[in-house]
Amino acid sequence: MTRNRLYLFLFLGLIAGYSYVLWESYVRIFNHPFTPCIFKNTTGIACPSCGVTRSVLLLMHGGLTSAILMNPLGLVVAAIMTITPLWLLYDVSFKKNTLYNSYKKTEKVLKTPWIAILFFILIAANWAWNIHKGL
Amino acid sequence: MIYIAHQKIFYSFTFLLTNLYYIPKMDSQKVDMFLMTNAKYFQAKHLNYIRERLQVADDSKWPLLQSADLKDPTTSLIISIFAGSLGIDRFIIGDTGLGVGKLLTCGGLGIWAIVDWFLISDATKAKNMEKLQMFL
Repeated sequence: MTRNRLYLFLFLGLIAGYSYVLWESYVRIFNHPFTPCIFKNTTGIACPSCGVTRSVLLLMHGGLTSAILMNPLGLVVAAIMTITPLWLLYDVSFKKNTLYNSYKKTEKVLKTPWIAILFFILIAANWAWNIHKGL
Repeated sequence: MIYIAHQKIFYSFTFLLTNLYYIPKMDSQKVDMFLMTNAKYFQAKHLNYIRERLQVADDSKWPLLQSADLKDPTTSLIISIFAGSLGIDRFIIGDTGLGVGKLLTCGGLGIWAIVDWFLISDATKAKNMEKLQMFL
């Protein structure tokens, strides 16, 4: 993946993510039960990242503990969604590729065997917790 | 006795000289064999380029080429259909960053997961080309 392609992809992804969170925060008022998750709709059990949107919404209203209890991955997503736009703007306006380089570096780090194993154990544990909570 | 020893030294010396400056090229039969067995791993538009590059590559690259970890596009398509919303297809082909993105967003709210059913085999082939590029 080239730099420009990644940046375009991130830009579109961020727009989609923000509009989804906005829409969801509007719809939640009516307690509308909707999930776009294919996994949950087909199998009926939660996927590893079910509850991330709810967690982000809880975080927006200041409920840090309840956000963590909903799904700890929500914090990761919230962090990515706040940092990436600024970083993207910085890189695009100053014609640098710091974000691209760190993306590549992160990919390389995640491919290290023990880190990958740790990552998957954490995801699996979170998934088990999600199913247990019945998200 | 001495004469034979001299001759042996002479021959080994000439052998060394001729082989030192001669880098054997990969013969076209090997290239054809490689392309025939591995054509499905690459995009059609890259096949000609691969053939040209392999024909001028030296023979010592052959074992490296054999050990290249190429992924099957059909396998990744099957994985994408069944576990695409968890991002496992992207992890398998080596797109770890996109895999994490897909995992954290429930397969991009389900939309990306469906789009990837159509993109994944080409993405796999492109990744294979990237891997091969290191040896060419």
